[in-house]
Amino acid sequence: MRRAVLGALALTAAAVALAFLFLPVAAIFLQVPPGRLLHQLTSPVVTDALLVSARTSAIAQALILLLGTPLAYLLASRRFRGRGLVITLVELPLVLPPAVAGLGLLVAFGRAGLLGTSIPFTQTAVVLAVAFVASPLYIRQALAAFEAVDPDVIAASRTLGAGSTRTFFRVVLPLARGGLAAGLALSFARGLGEFGATIMFAGSLQGVTQTLPLAIYQEFSVDLDTALAMGALLVVISALLLLVLKLVLSWQPSRRTSSFVFARSS
Amino acid sequence: MRLALLAAALAATIAVAGATAGPNAERATVYAAASLTNAFPKIAPSARYSFAGSNMLAAQIRQGAPADVFASANMKIPLGLYGDGFCSKPVVFTRNALVLIVPRANPAHIKSVFDLRRKGIKLVVAGQGVPVGDYTLQVLEKLKLTGVLRNVVSRETDVREVLAKVALGEADAGFVYSTDARTVPRKVRALSVPAGGRPSVEYGICIVLASGNKAVARAFVKRALGRPGQDVLRRYGFLPRRP
Repeated sequence: MRRAVLGALALTAAAVALAFLFLPVAAIFLQVPPGRLLHQLTSPVVTDALLVSARTSAIAQALILLLGTPLAYLLASRRFRGRGLVITLVELPLVLPPAVAGLGLLVAFGRAGLLGTSIPFTQTAVVLAVAFVASPLYIRQALAAFEAVDPDVIAASRTLGAGSTRTFFRVVLPLARGGLAAGLALSFARGLGEFGATIMFAGSLQGVTQTLPLAIYQEFSVDLDTALAMGALLVVISALLLLVLKLVLSWQPSRRTSSFVFARSS
Repeated sequence: MRLALLAAALAATIAVAGATAGPNAERATVYAAASLTNAFPKIAPSARYSFAGSNMLAAQIRQGAPADVFASANMKIPLGLYGDGFCSKPVVFTRNALVLIVPRANPAHIKSVFDLRRKGIKLVVAGQGVPVGDYTLQVLEKLKLTGVLRNVVSRETDVREVLAKVALGEADAGFVYSTDARTVPRKVRALSVPAGGRPSVEYGICIVLASGNKAVARAFVKRALGRPGQDVLRRYGFLPRRP
């Protein structure tokens, strides 16, 4: 009897949780008829924002890949004093409130800031904001992927005469590929949704710095239908990214990957 | 026993959440233009405030936000809400003036609005639909200076964001209300707009019709329109209700 009640309670709780998570996403599509939704997507505010988002995301993710991969590999393969501290510093932007990130970027790169550059209000500022908040997701995943590569395999490659560069490109990278791709997908999704740091550091100007999330915020008080159309677009893109992520991860069936939300610090 | 405990804990959680989130019978919830951030809490310290761009607040009220009173930096937005049945007929409760602000250090050496025409100046204005953004456009149109809009580097969501970007020294200039410039006198310098370009800046206040707390809302509006409210507004640099 009591078990039956508990079971029913658990089922109800599960149903409530599921409905709660699904409802806001579904509501975006139900609020406006699909035909009108598609029509809204052709408005210049939307196309401009889409272009800005695509451009800045592509550049930011390329930078993350180029600079983040060596960092992750070094952190995965070397043991040194303060390694835990470095990893924690890398992960910090992940848990930092975006408004703090924006403020930090402004006082670091702003004209009146530490480095005194003229980056604020440019598309470069958007790229930096995205890279700052999204790169930890990639680096952390890449670190876990590199750590999961069996050291014996690397040792075998070296004893068979391959240099460390050759070993990295022919052995380590192919084995870690799945984890790196998953990390990049996560980082891409996070970067696409960047709002707080961007609006503070880069401002918002249509066609220059106004990304999709910033355009949604603006259109919320101007034209709700357009805001909803962009919302629907981002839902679709995010869902596709998640799908890619899951496919990538399932291609690599027998891999030891870290089950921690954050990479181990020691 | 364990089940009873679980149920009790759940009930307690819901009760606590309900108690903190539910409407308060005593306190008015006031949605007010960002430029009123400093003055309004001095008029009625016990009320709850949400400060943002008037257009953003109006959008929230249209979506059913639990506001009792809406105070906008123009008349157009509350008149729109009134026309669509969201609030009572708005009345003018104060006025303001638009100024051009530059950082104290004034890196671009801007002496008047006409200097904004110079190439390479970083001008920050408020976005479309934000009252101060509309007033800015009026000024530029009246002075035949709309060409300076190509120097705009960002369109901000409310007047305080414009103020912050200039106060930080990141932007060379921006248009805000004179009352905003007064809040950071050590960081920005205010330049007046030439007489031919001054817009009429009227603030409208109304009672949100969906408010479940009309008596408290009416009391707030009365206070804002009356001597206590007007004195506070004057102290913060706002102009009297009637010119």
